[in-house]
Amino acid sequence: MEIIKNYFIVENKRWIIVSLLIAFFLLLPIVILFIKLFSDPGKNFFYLWNTVLIDYTFNTFYLILITSLFTLLFGLFPAWIISNYRFIGRNFYDLVLFLPLAIPSYIMGFTYIDILSFTGPIQSFLRNNFPWLASYFNIDYLQIETLGVLLGLALYPYVYTAARVAFSLLGSNYIDLSKSLGLSTIKSFYKIILPLSRPAIFSGLFLVFMEVLNEYGAVKYFGINTYTTGIFKAWFSLGDIGTAIQLSCLLLLVVFFFFVLEKISSSKTNFFYETNSPVQKLLYVNKDKLFLFHLVCSIPFILGFFIPLIFIVNNVFQTYSSIDFVRLFTLSFNTIFVSSLSSFIIIIVALFFLFIEKISKTKINTIISHLISLGYAIPGAVIGLGLIMLFSNIIDSFFSVSLIGSFYVLIYAYVIRFLAVGKSPIKSSLEKHPESYDDTGKNLGLGPFKLLQKIHLPINKFALISAFILTFIDIMKELPITLILRPFNFDTLATQTYEFAIEEMLPLSSAYSLSIIIIGSMLLLFLKNVINKQLNVS
Amino acid sequence: MYKYYYILLLSVLYVSCFPINKTSNEINIYSQRHYSVDEIQYKNFEKLTGIKVNVVKANADELIERLKNEGKNTPADLFITVDAGKLFKAKELSLLQKVSTPEIKENVNDEFEDKNGYWVPITYRARIIVHSNDRVNPSELSTYEDLANSKWKDRLLVRSSSNAYNEALMSSIVANLGSDSAEAWSLGLVNNFVRDPKGSDRDQVKAIAAGQGDVAIVNSYYIGLLLSSEKEEELKAGNAVSVFFPNQEEGGRGSHINVSGIGLTKYSPNKENAIKLIEYLTGEEAQRVYVNNSYEYPVNPNVEPADIVKNWGKFKSDNLDLNLLGKYREEAILIFDKTGWK
Repeated sequence: MEIIKNYFIVENKRWIIVSLLIAFFLLLPIVILFIKLFSDPGKNFFYLWNTVLIDYTFNTFYLILITSLFTLLFGLFPAWIISNYRFIGRNFYDLVLFLPLAIPSYIMGFTYIDILSFTGPIQSFLRNNFPWLASYFNIDYLQIETLGVLLGLALYPYVYTAARVAFSLLGSNYIDLSKSLGLSTIKSFYKIILPLSRPAIFSGLFLVFMEVLNEYGAVKYFGINTYTTGIFKAWFSLGDIGTAIQLSCLLLLVVFFFFVLEKISSSKTNFFYETNSPVQKLLYVNKDKLFLFHLVCSIPFILGFFIPLIFIVNNVFQTYSSIDFVRLFTLSFNTIFVSSLSSFIIIIVALFFLFIEKISKTKINTIISHLISLGYAIPGAVIGLGLIMLFSNIIDSFFSVSLIGSFYVLIYAYVIRFLAVGKSPIKSSLEKHPESYDDTGKNLGLGPFKLLQKIHLPINKFALISAFILTFIDIMKELPITLILRPFNFDTLATQTYEFAIEEMLPLSSAYSLSIIIIGSMLLLFLKNVINKQLNVS
Repeated sequence: MYKYYYILLLSVLYVSCFPINKTSNEINIYSQRHYSVDEIQYKNFEKLTGIKVNVVKANADELIERLKNEGKNTPADLFITVDAGKLFKAKELSLLQKVSTPEIKENVNDEFEDKNGYWVPITYRARIIVHSNDRVNPSELSTYEDLANSKWKDRLLVRSSSNAYNEALMSSIVANLGSDSAEAWSLGLVNNFVRDPKGSDRDQVKAIAAGQGDVAIVNSYYIGLLLSSEKEEELKAGNAVSVFFPNQEEGGRGSHINVSGIGLTKYSPNKENAIKLIEYLTGEEAQRVYVNNSYEYPVNPNVEPADIVKNWGKFKSDNLDLNLLGKYREEAILIFDKTGWK
């Protein structure tokens, strides 16, 4: 027994060293930023603090608050209904409620403002047919509250997905138990189900927070100054990189705080899904509730996907003659190439770190595994800046070739930024499996690599596919990193859409945004298929 | 066996990720402009000369940062912006070299040339006032300064101060009137705003059409784009407003203009080709393409603006040294923050 144990420790050591090396490269740009922070302290921090920063910070929290409320509203209730009830249309909703994830939030913003604007279809129609009604709709829609709702529509799938899986995996034991204790459905939802699913829901909400903090295109268009605006203001308008980095580090601290808070709260409710509890039986719905259920499930889909899609398709038809199909094809290829390659690397790196964390059981690996997720909290443009500084100042002096503008650096940046997205599904899947699998494997004489290959790859197959698709979609929608680090003549669907939209030529962007939506939707429908299988398996 | 497949796969990926190999017959551009008209220009140039044009498009400040860090190893030959202020900034950071040939001199109207010779303008645009045809009589309008007058209270629309066009306008006010007057002007404007600054220039025009405000400060070519729109409702919005060139009075300084311009980078690896492109873009043929696609004004004196633009009439432009738009940039931003122009 002792010998086996020692063998493992030695064997793991090599893995741990490799993991430290990779972690070093992933953290390097952030470290560079910190070094810069101390060598070149910002001059304008207090200036910004005294003038605009408090306002910006308040806006950020307010926007996060509204967005979270609506993501919960659009995400939790449909997830609950679909996980528990059987009614006509359920399978359809189950399939389509994910889809708004395929629409980038800036496209959601630009599209809705165009629909609602004075020259848009709604107001034009009312003016021509119901002039007395039109004036009530003629208001300024570019408000922080509108943006909050729109971001809620674009981002609720994060909460929905997390909640949907959590509700389904709870099993019927808890619900049966709460019922036999005399709790009503609503009460058992609030008292039992929500607390038990809280870690999952919070992890969904966490992604929503990060997305809002990083939101760039839509926020700018709405004229809402958020904390990220402050970073760009310091960096670009005031030309003060020191302050920009200070602000980014402060942002990192705030995120870290949320992160720790979540860890503490979820460690209190240490709870494992009982895989043995019988799969929940779906309940039949009585007629008076049916209408309500349809309403709750259809609103997020119609507002978050159907209406923007119809509007964009309509624009595509109107600009059909001016669509450059060769370019559309090239950009689609570019997008798919760079997104899939980066996602693939991210999945491997994420799996590697999570696996090391699992087998090594040293504190250091747990800490590293958390640290490398921090990239998700840093605004993309700041990561871009860190990499430019890294490659031009340090690497350059050794090799004297410019790597900036190569796919390496672009993909490197994506990996740093989106590792957390790929990690989270794999992590929750790994955690579900009992430790005894590892022990059995070890006793059968499997080394770590074989353990990974023979046991963890197959049983986490679905999680790996989900992780791949989620990172793919995020990278496909990414803007700031792509804009600053891309090679010559390299456009993606997202950059092209954004360029047209920001130059106020929304109709021309429609062919490109439609391609994003189609690619994203196809992947999401495939993902849905995978998740369904996963639910049936476990 | 599988090992070899992996190695093969990895080496293919490795090679495919390198930057496309450099041929000598090319030009590399870092550009802030992302109009489709630019692609047409580069394609025409390629056909004419056989020189391949490569472009990276991003925010001007990010591109400056990239140029600065790349130093001598930069692949970029040309830096194109939509704001003389950014060209000034690049020059101040010693990222540009002087560029001048007889042909460029002949192509470009002296009025718009860089006094220091570090950049070449390719088009220019005016930041003008548009007003509602129903609720504003053009005789009420006069200068930018007048927009701070309380008669425009709750009638004025403009986009946010973080926008480069507004930064340039404020810089020009600081350069012309001094920072104290500029601050008072900004405060007056903020008091007159009918809503918080937001949206695009085109949104300001739509807001006038919607009756939410009466006057707005926008760039000239957006009106051109709106008036050439295929959507009936947008056309209607464009026709509900009129263009007014401010500061045209006797002895007045003229309307604020800014240029799109090109700088030759200090370490340009393909200098000869790059200069050829500058000569081409300022030439008559290319200038005509600009004018008719993006509704900007030409810098070549032999080329006329597009018909829609010509209908607004000729105007006197502020002949301020455009480098000052960069020099006073930081002061302009401080004034925005101080006076609460969001």
